[in-house]
Amino acid sequence: MNGIQAATRLHLTKKNMTFGVPVQIVGLVAVISALIALIIWRAGGTPGSAEWITGARSNGGMAFGLLGFLVYLGVQSIATTFPFALTLGSTRKAFVGGTLVWAAVTSAYLAVIYAVLLLVELATDHWFASVYIFDVYYLGTGDLLILLPTVFLGSLSALTIGALFGASWARFGNRGPVFLGAGLAIGLLGLLALVLPSITGSVLDGFRLWWLAVAAVVIIAVSAVMTLLLLRSAVVR
Amino acid sequence: MTQAIELQSVTRRFRNDNALEDVTLAVPDGAICGLLGRNGAGKTTVMSLISGQDRPTTGRVLVDGDDPFENEAVLSSISFVRDNQRYPDDYFLHHVLSIAPAFAPHWDGELAAELVEGFRLPRKPAIRKFSRGQLSAVAIVLGLASRAPVTLLDEPYLGLDATARGLFHDLLLRDLGRHPRTLLLSTHLIDESDSLFDHVVLMDRGRVVLRAEAEEARRVAMCVSGVADAVQAFCADYPVLRSHSIGGLRTSTVTGRLDDDARSRAATLGVQLKGASLQDLAVAYGSGDSLQDSSKEGISA
Amino acid sequence: MFTGDNPIYQQLAARIADDIVAGTYAEDAAVPSSNDFATFLHMNPATAGKALNVLVEQGVLYKKRGVGMFVAPGARSQLLKQRRADFPQQFVHPLIREARAVGIEPPELAQMIKEEYIP
Repeated sequence: MNGIQAATRLHLTKKNMTFGVPVQIVGLVAVISALIALIIWRAGGTPGSAEWITGARSNGGMAFGLLGFLVYLGVQSIATTFPFALTLGSTRKAFVGGTLVWAAVTSAYLAVIYAVLLLVELATDHWFASVYIFDVYYLGTGDLLILLPTVFLGSLSALTIGALFGASWARFGNRGPVFLGAGLAIGLLGLLALVLPSITGSVLDGFRLWWLAVAAVVIIAVSAVMTLLLLRSAVVR
Repeated sequence: MTQAIELQSVTRRFRNDNALEDVTLAVPDGAICGLLGRNGAGKTTVMSLISGQDRPTTGRVLVDGDDPFENEAVLSSISFVRDNQRYPDDYFLHHVLSIAPAFAPHWDGELAAELVEGFRLPRKPAIRKFSRGQLSAVAIVLGLASRAPVTLLDEPYLGLDATARGLFHDLLLRDLGRHPRTLLLSTHLIDESDSLFDHVVLMDRGRVVLRAEAEEARRVAMCVSGVADAVQAFCADYPVLRSHSIGGLRTSTVTGRLDDDARSRAATLGVQLKGASLQDLAVAYGSGDSLQDSSKEGISA
Repeated sequence: MFTGDNPIYQQLAARIADDIVAGTYAEDAAVPSSNDFATFLHMNPATAGKALNVLVEQGVLYKKRGVGMFVAPGARSQLLKQRRADFPQQFVHPLIREARAVGIEPPELAQMIKEEYIP
């Protein structure tokens, strides 16, 4: 078996973590969204009205509810798995490659889950109760072609950023994530300071969604390369 | 004989300390080599370097003539589970057993199952909750069932009860007989494994103090004990590695052959004489007082 | 199991030789393989092999390719002869040394041996 395949399988041994827990979280967020809709209805909202729909579609639960878990999953995919991967005889390169493949598989799986549930939501006229869970602004307002790449790239970004933090810990111990976090924050602020003055109305008007997709791809690529560079010089003690 | 493992003048420095200092050693193909020394002597670091988990600050590490670092072919021929091995979050025994074959081309599932049953390893609690002995047993399962041509066992006896140690030796030797491989076994409990070795490397504080064939190593030193004056008189002719006194009695470990000369000298002085076992040697080299002794320089038989 | 005084392979060779003299292994019967000895005695297989090879060199054992090691015809009497030859060195000398040390004269010693020998 080649090294990257083996490393991918290493991550996939914990099937429940990869495939089970995210679905449980999705279910939980869905229940909470439904409960919120119920509360708003009891408070006097009119299901189906234009006002109702605008409010319900602003529900960010499904877009952001998984982020925390995905970042954790990314961190542990390196932090606690790296020493065991080396023990099994993986090279650092193959391990990072396998981790990336696993993260892509996980993200694709989530995108498919979201897509299926969106289709169900649309087919049931929003769960027969005007409950907007997947048909929301953040996920493309019911457009499958926007939801799929959004969920895929969003999940993959969260996983690879988590992995990068895990790698910084594997390389530098407790100081790693602190410095990486501080470095990223400073870098981001610096970038904003540079870019903000030049953002005018015309640029904002010209904003296209694919800009975000490009940004996500860049984040994923940079995280993966930095993860490899950190692990290249990481030792297990 | 070709060398399965070679370290050439390897030094490994960490931020604050020198883990290894100019270590040179070789383990021939098919040998069963004991890597002996106290806790902190550098045994795990040596194994870490051999398995490419770590890189030397200076010097060279070779496994079958190749640098193991990031070398997929070499790494797949090595098995190494460190004494304080970490496992992924929420890992259970069955996770370990299902993934190990993906990395070990010679994996034997039947042997793994036999070991798991013999050690009575539980399926239920997560590995994080295993006892010290159970963790050692998991490491032994991985180490033996991998059938890796170069197998490194790091302190395999920690926490194992007598039955488990017997089982370990039984299955280790049975499987080595069927599928010979090079074995490097580190331990500070030497009497337990003394007769397993055909080669030994003795380390202290990051240095190699003795490397030899086991039969030779068992003859490089002797222990003399008796009334302090007589023992000291006997020791006049030999480099003393370590002495230990209680009341008027004294035991000294000295380098030198236990030959007829030594025997008759001992008889004349009325002191007891016996060959130093590997354990005696390790104790002698591992005790602080021999450091000031000029004879501390490594011996090579 | 093994003492520190002689090399382990010599101790194992001596033990196998003793077993042949005692009749545990008959002539032309197979002796356990080096791996069997290693597993049974928890010792190094190469060391066990060395013990067997020492006995092959002495003509006590012979090899059948691919089958194993067997007790050579005449091995028992050869080993008995050897042990007789070693008897003075191994047993009489220490006995005499101790007798001298505690002041037992030869006639007294001879008498003691006679009494021990004939029950």
